[in-house]
Amino acid sequence: MGAANVVLHTPRPSRAVHLAGLVWTLVRTDFKARYHGTLAGFVWALLKPFTMFLVLLGVFSFVFSGDPDYRVNLIVALFLWDFFAEATKVSLTSLLAKGYLINKARFPTWIVVVTSTSNAVITLLVFSVVIVVFLVASGRAPSAGQVALFALYLVHYFLMVVGFGLAASVMFLRYRDLNQVWEVATQAGFFVAPIIYPLDILPERFHWYLYLWPPTLFIQLSRMVLVKGEVPTLRAHVMLAAATALALAAGIAMYRRHAARNAEYL
Amino acid sequence: MAVISVCGIAKSFSIPSVRRETVREHVFGLLRPRRFEELRVLEDISFEVRRGETLGLMGRNGSGKSTLLKIISGIYRADRGRVVVRAPVTPILELGVGWNPELDAIDNIYLLGGVMGLSLAEIRSSIDDILEFADLVRFANLELRHYSSGMAARLAYAVAFHAVRDVLILDEIFAVGDAGFRARCFDRYRELHAAGHTVLLVSHEPYTIANFCQRAILIDGGRVVLDDRADHVSDEYLRRLATAPLSVATPA
Repeated sequence: MGAANVVLHTPRPSRAVHLAGLVWTLVRTDFKARYHGTLAGFVWALLKPFTMFLVLLGVFSFVFSGDPDYRVNLIVALFLWDFFAEATKVSLTSLLAKGYLINKARFPTWIVVVTSTSNAVITLLVFSVVIVVFLVASGRAPSAGQVALFALYLVHYFLMVVGFGLAASVMFLRYRDLNQVWEVATQAGFFVAPIIYPLDILPERFHWYLYLWPPTLFIQLSRMVLVKGEVPTLRAHVMLAAATALALAAGIAMYRRHAARNAEYL
Repeated sequence: MAVISVCGIAKSFSIPSVRRETVREHVFGLLRPRRFEELRVLEDISFEVRRGETLGLMGRNGSGKSTLLKIISGIYRADRGRVVVRAPVTPILELGVGWNPELDAIDNIYLLGGVMGLSLAEIRSSIDDILEFADLVRFANLELRHYSSGMAARLAYAVAFHAVRDVLILDEIFAVGDAGFRARCFDRYRELHAAGHTVLLVSHEPYTIANFCQRAILIDGGRVVLDDRADHVSDEYLRRLATAPLSVATPA
């Protein structure tokens, strides 16, 4: 019969090799399912923030006509925001969405949460290249140091979102309307983060509160490095690393506490 | 030497009098306390599976067989007790449901094979065998949403049968597909058994248990009530089914 040539008792691949393969499969199939495996499909993902950019630019460049950097500040913030909104939304529902796999076998399920953000990460990376090219074209090419700092912020940003995703995805299995709660929060959060307005138009004493909303931090740091060409203080970097470590640790702790019972809530 | 040792396993599910699955329901329900009813599915289960053995597991609907298999497979966590599994386990549970409907058979094989512990190279080299085993070569590039439930189930069993490394856990395996597919499953099962694989097999079918297993256990009321030769256990299962009233799980 058909299966007689199957090898029995095959040696197990190393855990790292197996998990790397699983990560690749999850990333590849997520991309394929989302964009139908075509580059043209991927263009849609970039089109969304870009359309937002054009619309907002059309309206608000009149309001903030005194600010020569408004345009580039806006596009930096919009793409960073788009990553945050998209990655948190997808990772929140990731465990439920991949429940059909979690029910089947035992494997490290956190991989599902982390890889769920991959489409958002790819979009963010493509944008990052676009923005650097844009800066070069407009005559203020960032130095290697500036690009490195920006990359460092992106890594922190990603890790913070992963921390959120780990905690939110296990809670979503227990509270099935968390996605709606989060949708409302992100809708309001769009205006809390200084995306369409410069942070300076608000009184200084409110800034601290706005920085509690993570996108604010990353938008401001990225603008400072890429647009203004200034290096944020050491204190800002320490706080960034601490906040990221805290978010990631909290997410991991929450996940470890609840993950063993995930399958019961599917 | 025991490949699987199950020692004093207990598992309850807490069933609330009012189901609250959302933040909204929790907030509006703050003032109305609810009671929880504890559904004790498994009370105290202990048994061992020896290397190379095929152990049958019988019990009626709701007796906790599937819950037990999920605990042994590491998908559920037991409330009490200990499970020691000394070899890699491949569970074949509820395989009919659950695919990504947007993806074709090949990508779904990569996903399911991946979570079942196969590396990319292993999946790549066995894709043709899997499709052939499931008799789905012609539909390899068809998205799963166009599959019938029988086709989807065949694909799942084919993947799982190819993912087996040592211990195989089967839940009602021989109830899927047409006669030809079932014959292939039988053959594959015999190969695995001949190669010395350990198998834990759940079935409602006395014929299956009596034919495939040397030994079997019968679960009733959350406990192992009989651990004996397979034909004795299937006889006892039929006897209880005919006489005893339904007492599957006892609310505490």
